[in-house]
Amino acid sequence: MRSEVQAVQDGLERLGYIADPAIATAVYLSREMRKPLLVEGDAGGGKTELAKVLARLLETELIRLQCYEGLDVNTALYEWNYPRQILRVRMAEQEGRSAADVEDLIFSRSYLLERPLLQAITRSRGPAVLLIDEIDRADEGFEAFLLELLSDFQVTIPELGTIRAEHVPYVVLTSNRSREIGDALRRRCLYLYIEHPTLDKEVRIIRAKVPGAAEQLADEIGRFVQALRKRHLSKTPGVAETIDWAQALVVLHRDRLDADVVFETLGCLLKDHADVESTRAADIEALVAGARAHQGGA
Amino acid sequence: MAGGDLVAHVATFAGALRSRGVHVGLGDEVDAVRALTLVDVPDRSEVHRALRIAMKILRRDWAAFDESFARFWAAAPPVRHDSRDTVPSPRPAGAALLRPSMSVEGETSRPGGSPAPPEEGSPGYSPEAVLRRKPFDQCSDADLHAMERPMRQLARGLAVRRSRRLVPARRRETADLRRSFRRSIGTGGELVSLAYRARAIEWPRLVVLCDTSGSMDRHARFLLAFVVALRRVARSTEVFVFNTALARVTGSIASGRIPRIVERLVSAVPDWSGGTRIGESLGEFVSAHLDRFVTHKTVVIILSDGLDRGDTTRIAAAMKAIRSRARRIIWLNPLAGDPRYEPTARAMAAARPFIDRLLPAHDLESLERLLPELA
Repeated sequence: MRSEVQAVQDGLERLGYIADPAIATAVYLSREMRKPLLVEGDAGGGKTELAKVLARLLETELIRLQCYEGLDVNTALYEWNYPRQILRVRMAEQEGRSAADVEDLIFSRSYLLERPLLQAITRSRGPAVLLIDEIDRADEGFEAFLLELLSDFQVTIPELGTIRAEHVPYVVLTSNRSREIGDALRRRCLYLYIEHPTLDKEVRIIRAKVPGAAEQLADEIGRFVQALRKRHLSKTPGVAETIDWAQALVVLHRDRLDADVVFETLGCLLKDHADVESTRAADIEALVAGARAHQGGA
Repeated sequence: MAGGDLVAHVATFAGALRSRGVHVGLGDEVDAVRALTLVDVPDRSEVHRALRIAMKILRRDWAAFDESFARFWAAAPPVRHDSRDTVPSPRPAGAALLRPSMSVEGETSRPGGSPAPPEEGSPGYSPEAVLRRKPFDQCSDADLHAMERPMRQLARGLAVRRSRRLVPARRRETADLRRSFRRSIGTGGELVSLAYRARAIEWPRLVVLCDTSGSMDRHARFLLAFVVALRRVARSTEVFVFNTALARVTGSIASGRIPRIVERLVSAVPDWSGGTRIGESLGEFVSAHLDRFVTHKTVVIILSDGLDRGDTTRIAAAMKAIRSRARRIIWLNPLAGDPRYEPTARAMAAARPFIDRLLPAHDLESLERLLPELA
């Protein structure tokens, strides 16, 4: 592996984010090629976390835009501060200023409320990390707007003119694939798909995130979750759920898995009632035995 | 490796990917070349990762990518100009399915394929009121012509859904301060009249799956005619037909007279009015098309009488998968027009828990009840 990629992986790991080579390569390429990184994968796989850790790694600010249905430019980019503008107009009236004068006055930067996208562009102290979270929830119209922004990194405000980015931010977009992201936007980015982690990676994540979990418990949790993912579930648990569960078990002072405690705490891991029922009804004993089987030599 | 060599490598590799149905653009090739200059090229696994990231390979294309990669970036120097031919490209299942619909043009001229001009009998005196309640299974081809107009009207009434996005509007819904205030500049900052915003109008996204097996033959023609009319209004509508296998026919729905389009579809679908394998067909839809065509905004409409003796667990599994993505599932069953009908057929019973609405579809009037459900 190239030493720079290794450095990224080590850096992420130092900050508590266990990355595999694919993630490290994607971060490295996105940084070197100055292209946005589109991260897809199942929920709870560490997509958002990656952007947060990246900001810490680059020692810069994280600017986050959470997408939702109906998100529009007023919320994402900028809005004028109307109450302040109106007050200023009233004052200007008494001062007897001309209309053009007033207009220049109130449509200036100090009356502008900067929303995340504009903030990321106008930041003067070096490039920020811009996280555009859950882009799949926004309308396709917004996606098209974003496409324009991500290619030029400039924004035109009719009253003010064009604002160009002082420093092009590092952009991370995440998607849970509730709809397919348009081809055009994806091609503007680099593309990383985060899969469920391997056993080894998952155990390391548990150890990093839940320091209270003993080595043996972390290993059993990892094996149990890996086996569970192979079953037919409507909501396969992600790493976030694994961590929740490990924390719960630590709070309950467990250092091994047993059928009873798994039965009681399964709700931390499975977030769908039918999944909980079907797993409880099936073979918790066998799953636990499977997870513990490898412990003999340890 | 020299720079030019790298470019040639990437271009040939991209060609191989394309021949396997993986969409790779020129921009992706440029990104791939740039990425390769940034990583350790002798390290195969690093090249593999970098190419997958830089060429933006979707998860569903990973298998094809991995195979092509294994052939191409093997230890031997991979650049060969005939390499496009040396990569055997097993045609993806989807392409095979599409073939019949692509040969449609050639088949329209066959005798009987083109719609016969309305002849003796019904058309002249079928007033629309009678037509509205005439059961599809008693309708003639001539009735299909007569129904074209009311069907188009019906489709146009497709109730619209309001988006949450606000757009400038005359309706007085939400004051638009940005525009109001801008307007007020002319009156010295006095807000004389407010500008408004209202929720945008959004056409529903529809995916239609139509059963064309023997028991559905007559109905399917009329229902497909209706679907064609719907697609005229809701342009993003996707249409699939199934009997023993599934085929996407959206591409065959061109402009022109509706009965003619239906005739073309009938002749293009292999095994029209043959047997049914609902579970297998829905399963195929789930594995090949669900991710691409069904989102949380999509209404999935299934047109079938549910008469199938196959494995019901497959139906339930497929319905569950569709349920987890779609906004709604509506099942139109021609048999449901009979007030005594109960969804007890095995396939129907297996699918029932995942259906939002089970509606009749035996005549035009019953289709009117569908429209509000799509909003």
